[in-house]
Amino acid sequence: MYDFIEPALFAVLTIATIASGAGVILANRITTSALLMAFTFLNVAGMFLLLGAETVAMFQVLIYVGAITVLILYGVMFTPQSPRPYGLFFQTQKWWAALFVVPIAIFVALVSFTFRDSATLAPKGGDLLPLATSVFRDFAFPFEVASVLLLAAMVGAIVLVKRDEE
Amino acid sequence: MPVGPFGIDPAIWAPLRLVIAVLLAVGLVFNGALAQIYLERKIQAIIQDRLGPLHTGPWGLLQTFADAIKLLGKEDIRARLTDKWFFLAAPSIVFSPMLASYVVIPFAPSIVGADLNVGLLYLTTLGSMTVLGIVIAGWASNNKYSLIGGLRSAGQLISYEVPQILSLVTVVLVVGTLSMVGIAESQPGWQLNVLVLPLAFVTYFIAGLAETNRNPFDLPEAESELVAGFLTEYSGMRWAIFFLAEYGEVTVVSSIVATLWFGAWHGPFVEVFPLLGVLWFTLKTYFFVLVFMWIRATLPRLRIDQLMSLCWKILIPLTLTNLMVTAVLLLVFPTTVVPVAIANWILLALFVMVLPYVQRRRLVALRERLRTAA
Amino acid sequence: MAVPLGAFIAVSAVLFFIGTAGVLVRRNAVVILMSVELMLNATNLALVAFSRRYSSIDERGSVFVVFIFVVAAAEVAVGLAIVLSAYRNRPTVDVDEIRSMRG
Repeated sequence: MYDFIEPALFAVLTIATIASGAGVILANRITTSALLMAFTFLNVAGMFLLLGAETVAMFQVLIYVGAITVLILYGVMFTPQSPRPYGLFFQTQKWWAALFVVPIAIFVALVSFTFRDSATLAPKGGDLLPLATSVFRDFAFPFEVASVLLLAAMVGAIVLVKRDEE
Repeated sequence: MPVGPFGIDPAIWAPLRLVIAVLLAVGLVFNGALAQIYLERKIQAIIQDRLGPLHTGPWGLLQTFADAIKLLGKEDIRARLTDKWFFLAAPSIVFSPMLASYVVIPFAPSIVGADLNVGLLYLTTLGSMTVLGIVIAGWASNNKYSLIGGLRSAGQLISYEVPQILSLVTVVLVVGTLSMVGIAESQPGWQLNVLVLPLAFVTYFIAGLAETNRNPFDLPEAESELVAGFLTEYSGMRWAIFFLAEYGEVTVVSSIVATLWFGAWHGPFVEVFPLLGVLWFTLKTYFFVLVFMWIRATLPRLRIDQLMSLCWKILIPLTLTNLMVTAVLLLVFPTTVVPVAIANWILLALFVMVLPYVQRRRLVALRERLRTAA
Repeated sequence: MAVPLGAFIAVSAVLFFIGTAGVLVRRNAVVILMSVELMLNATNLALVAFSRRYSSIDERGSVFVVFIFVVAAAEVAVGLAIVLSAYRNRPTVDVDEIRSMRG
């Protein structure tokens, strides 16, 4: 009886995602871009929930909104710029970018509608158990390599930002 | 023609249930905050050998209402800000995840908002969204003390998420499910998880103290440090929203402790009257809230470097060791949790006995170094 | 009435190309990093949509997405460290002006 909810939610999430994504690259002030990016991450997490992938949705919010947005806000805070307008409409290359990007985007979006199977009625349980068994059993080695990658990134970031003690 | 509960048409019951649930959650948060503000002032007063609020109402019970009316009537001062919209949005960003946490907390055998099968992961995720609000609050105030307070608080919150999540994962290893209702049901009668995993309880409690910015970890928002940190420019009702968020978060952390380690609703006569579970759950949660307040009235505040070294040098290795030992013992003895319990109690005893000794030796070495340098 | 899979892929494509336009046009290094994150998010969305619809035993698309999360976090950390170091040498993050290695 409440069948209309799923397409309605999808429509709302689509409009919100694309609008905030466009806002990230069009905004004049960089702080507005950062917050709209966090809003885009939340909307993509909502789409994951609509697909039934709840563990991935939780990871998305935890990692992207909780950590990466804070990192980008630190970057924004520590690199203050003079208040010139930096938004998209003041760049001179915007017509070239539009020429390259818009036709390909329209083409890909139209082609992708050939996948006509319904995505949200897949009869499966949640994705926690298959995801966990895959990561820790079939892909255990890439998991370990990812840990080493994170360690290297952490050490590298600290070394890069260290000031030389005279 | 299906009939919903109370004989209402199910088409009306679904949105009505949503509205009732949201109103209950909001009512719970606000009433809980009112009760906690009063309790905090009274308990701090009694521990500090004075009397606390006495005049407004019998035993000062109406003091919180008087405070709320005062806060509502305060002038909304806004200095020249970096960004007006961020300044206005920050209290909501800090408050909303706390309110959304009440969905998965199991109050009684069938009284739970939604039995998500990733309930514990959901609570952790919401805990990490408050960091964003605090960074925005500190930065939008256009005040270098607020900025430093906000960044320090964000660093503290992000650092203490790691021991928190590791302690929760240890419990999940033993119980086998991330769902809060499943964890609550896995502890019937006296088989409480605290008898199996006391070290995880202690480390989660310490990490929870730091996650909610409570004493002894309340450096970012204390009144005597950094002019109240990221809260400096917030006055009146905006400050009240930050504090509602803090008391609500304290209640959520206490509920998590009560659910994971003390059997959420289990108590005498719960099988006969399922609604009695709400009473036991509330009593257990408020016991831990009182322990939070007791700690606040007793312990001094940690400095930011002491706080961070406690997290990275002591709590993280401890929780990692706990997790590894629990996992190995569960693999070797898959049918019983008694070896895990023994190992955990041994680790807890080591932690409690060895830590003061190590700290004293470090203090002696530091004094020696200072004396030879002077 | 249910949502077709193609709709999710179309949203992912549009978001990806918005991110590409951001990388091509904007000159502030931090905004370029943000656009790269948008592109990674679009990829994640496409992967999870396909994985939930077509994988029968295990969620290989979602596993790939978990590794993309890890790599994206590492990349943002190191990228911001580089931007901050460049900012310290001369106080600009405009990528048109950081060109002392240009031939």
